[in-house]
Amino acid sequence: MTRRAEAGLIVAAALIASVGVAIVEFTRGNWLNAQVALTFLAFVASFGGVHLAVIRWAPGASSLLLPTATFLTAVGFIEIYRIDSEAAALQRWSLLVAAATASMVLWLLRRTGVAVFRRYRYVILAIGVAFLLLPLLPNSWIIHGATVNGSRLWVRLDIPGTLRVLSFQPGEIAKILITIFLASYLAERAEAMSVVSRKIGPFKVPEPRHLGPVIIAGAAASLVLIYQRDLGASLLLFGVFIGMLYIATGRSFYVITGAVLAVFGGIGAYATFDHVARRIEAWLDPFSHITDAGYQTVQGLFAMGSGALTGSGIGLGRPDLIPAVTTDFIFAAIAEEMGLAGSLAVLAGFSLLIAAGFGIAIRSRDRFRKYLASGLTIVISLQAIIILGGVLRLLPITGLTLPFMSYGGSSLLANMVIVTLLLRVSHEERL
Amino acid sequence: MNIALRRAAYAILTAFVVLAVSVTYIQVIAGPDLRDDPRNPRVAAWRTGRQRAPIVSAEGQILALSTPSPDDPKLYERAYPEGGLYAHTVGFSSVLYGSQGIERTHATDLVSNRDATISGVLHGLLGGDTRPRGVRLTLQHTLQTVAAAALGQQRGSIVALDPTTGAILAMVTFPTFDPNDLVGANAFAAGEALENDPDEPLRNRAIDQTYPPGSIFKVVTTTSGLDTGLVNASSEFPDPVALALVGTDSTIRNSNARVCHDGVSVTLEHAFIKSCNTVFAQLGIDLGGDQLGRTSAAFGFNTAVPFDFDVLTSFFPRQGTIQNDPAATAQSAIGQRDVQATPLLMALVAGAVANNGTVMVPYLVEEVFTSDGVIESDAEPTIWRRALSPASAAVLSDLMEQVVISGTGRGATVPGVRIAGKTGTSEIAGEAPHAWFIGFGPVGAKPGEPRIAIAVIVESGGDFGESATGGTVAAPIAQQVLAAFFGI
Repeated sequence: MTRRAEAGLIVAAALIASVGVAIVEFTRGNWLNAQVALTFLAFVASFGGVHLAVIRWAPGASSLLLPTATFLTAVGFIEIYRIDSEAAALQRWSLLVAAATASMVLWLLRRTGVAVFRRYRYVILAIGVAFLLLPLLPNSWIIHGATVNGSRLWVRLDIPGTLRVLSFQPGEIAKILITIFLASYLAERAEAMSVVSRKIGPFKVPEPRHLGPVIIAGAAASLVLIYQRDLGASLLLFGVFIGMLYIATGRSFYVITGAVLAVFGGIGAYATFDHVARRIEAWLDPFSHITDAGYQTVQGLFAMGSGALTGSGIGLGRPDLIPAVTTDFIFAAIAEEMGLAGSLAVLAGFSLLIAAGFGIAIRSRDRFRKYLASGLTIVISLQAIIILGGVLRLLPITGLTLPFMSYGGSSLLANMVIVTLLLRVSHEERL
Repeated sequence: MNIALRRAAYAILTAFVVLAVSVTYIQVIAGPDLRDDPRNPRVAAWRTGRQRAPIVSAEGQILALSTPSPDDPKLYERAYPEGGLYAHTVGFSSVLYGSQGIERTHATDLVSNRDATISGVLHGLLGGDTRPRGVRLTLQHTLQTVAAAALGQQRGSIVALDPTTGAILAMVTFPTFDPNDLVGANAFAAGEALENDPDEPLRNRAIDQTYPPGSIFKVVTTTSGLDTGLVNASSEFPDPVALALVGTDSTIRNSNARVCHDGVSVTLEHAFIKSCNTVFAQLGIDLGGDQLGRTSAAFGFNTAVPFDFDVLTSFFPRQGTIQNDPAATAQSAIGQRDVQATPLLMALVAGAVANNGTVMVPYLVEEVFTSDGVIESDAEPTIWRRALSPASAAVLSDLMEQVVISGTGRGATVPGVRIAGKTGTSEIAGEAPHAWFIGFGPVGAKPGEPRIAIAVIVESGGDFGESATGGTVAAPIAQQVLAAFFGI
């Protein structure tokens, strides 16, 4: 696919977003207005801007990723606009900031490439862990943590002299930094870690000291779970660790140990934490917890079931009945208003993005770039699978955003950066 | 290294296939259940908030209509101008309590089926008509009004039907409720109160309640005797004060505790007119429980009645259970002991006699019409079963006419119209008796002449209490409905 086709598809996706906004305005009894034009401009400026940055600083990059990301963002944006137009206006600004950041990342890496990350591996790890712990800052500081819906994921900066607050979820950036560290760590250690010294039953078991990383992964995930009460982020972090270990070593031992640890961790969390227990009970039988813990899940199911094949039509459903619909449950809103057609299109979009990401990893000759590309792809994949599985009741519900689609600036920025890094890796492999 | 990478990629893409299957299941297979779940708040906007076509009586009286909501011009509110009069037949369509009655059974006609279901989309694509359609009932507003007024504040039910077609002309039950309460602002409290009411106002007593039929069951016992050739109207029976039941200490007495005629012998005709228990108990013993059971089954006992709504099945003891128990057979022959019948079935019993022995399938919907008044489908009367021979029907018709002329059913007399009937006073231990009347008119109708069959039950004697009989309580109520039907 050529760069020209990429540009055409980005414009097409921008048109989807603006037509969606026009439909929402129409269902409200309005005609074409400034919102339609502003949406088109924001999409063309942001994704078009990244497209230009790619032409300038990473001309060899894959052209599959950007149009797909634009499409997913557009579909999510339509629903955000339909549910909460003021939030959508903020989301447009976030989109521009995210695109600017992504372009800046491409510019920064224009000479050194991603290899520069290897040199500052431990600095990156330190920043990543610090970001992860940032929400624990006491409430009295200027920059302080904040608890929202029982989870401590937010950092807020009170702008002095005003009542304005800048909010950010540092965990979104931390997951990228930690993935970069892991890729670089594994690029050096993987061979040692895949050496098999003994067997327990049918399983080939590596040296005990190589179990260290798995234990660290489990410990980090539990810390996140305990201190920030964030089941989703904890599961995501743990899954990325285990997935990357498996890809780097080829040893299913890590996956099996990880799964066993996850199951025991889950049982332990169920027995220890009330909020986890309530969620799991509401997952197993949401209809008998319809008034409390199962309410969100059941409202999501009602929304999706009501959507049927072609949906109620944009602006004609009632996705506003679902709590946290613009963040956790954006998929249920799309399924209700755009029907099975819309929800399968979204799943197809993610599959394409992820297949393209893995394709970049598979084609990479350099070990670090291969691990980096696969790690970043796993981050997007797992995050989508965990939250979609929760909405579709295959997994307990966790508070993760759906990449590119949910409302939220931090998430959008992080996912844009992930796509940018993938683009850069694919460019470097073509050199 | 790439092997593990490929495996991981396949695993993740497989997870997306699972997600796709799962969302397809939720949206398509489980979709209709989730969409119609009464706890789904969308049901409010879709089912009740959408415009529904009207439901009208046979004469076109509006029984249910949609008006634009004053709060939201896109939504409609459902109203029932006749209140409790049609609560159990028209039913209601409520946010909180779902829908009932015709509002439920004809929901797909009443609401536009231009929706997002597979069948809805296909229907529209194939050029089907997706406009909502109104429903015209067989119920006659004048008759329904008179019936409800005649029953008054007494617990019970009235069913009137056209015996030649099965069309229900009136179906009244008391106590009733106002369906407007269940769609209004205080629906929750109103619904709670109705559900907790010991008199069960939500129950349609015409079809959803069975009672011991008592003496009106003698129509079935007599049919059994006539159809088997065992007796005719002038057959003689002994006339004791009390019929001793073999194998028990108990006896069967007539309601006035006297002999039926002269204490020596009495004809079947005289016993039918006076409703003497001793004679019909003896006839039952002579026929045997199994033969009575076969005749009951021919009338539709122990069988589900095909109708617009579920009808509670009326009961007569099964084959073999009372055949060798003369005492039980004797009590069953006069409609006591375990025999149970719905008012609808007893109206059909009267209708069978009126229609030369043929029972028609009862129905409530005359036609379904489009918004421009085109009739899309109308009722096609169908035969349900043959209950008795035309010859027996003629004999019973004559006997029942004599009941109204000179017997227990004189209260149902309509001047100038030949009315036939049978009264019943079914005893319940420790309670006032239920008062029954079944009947029809006119006797010997010419083809095409309007006919009506009716069943009336007043629970626990109604306003008369312990002293109530079918003749004093139920027959006069039937008289008012019959008179209204014949315009007198």
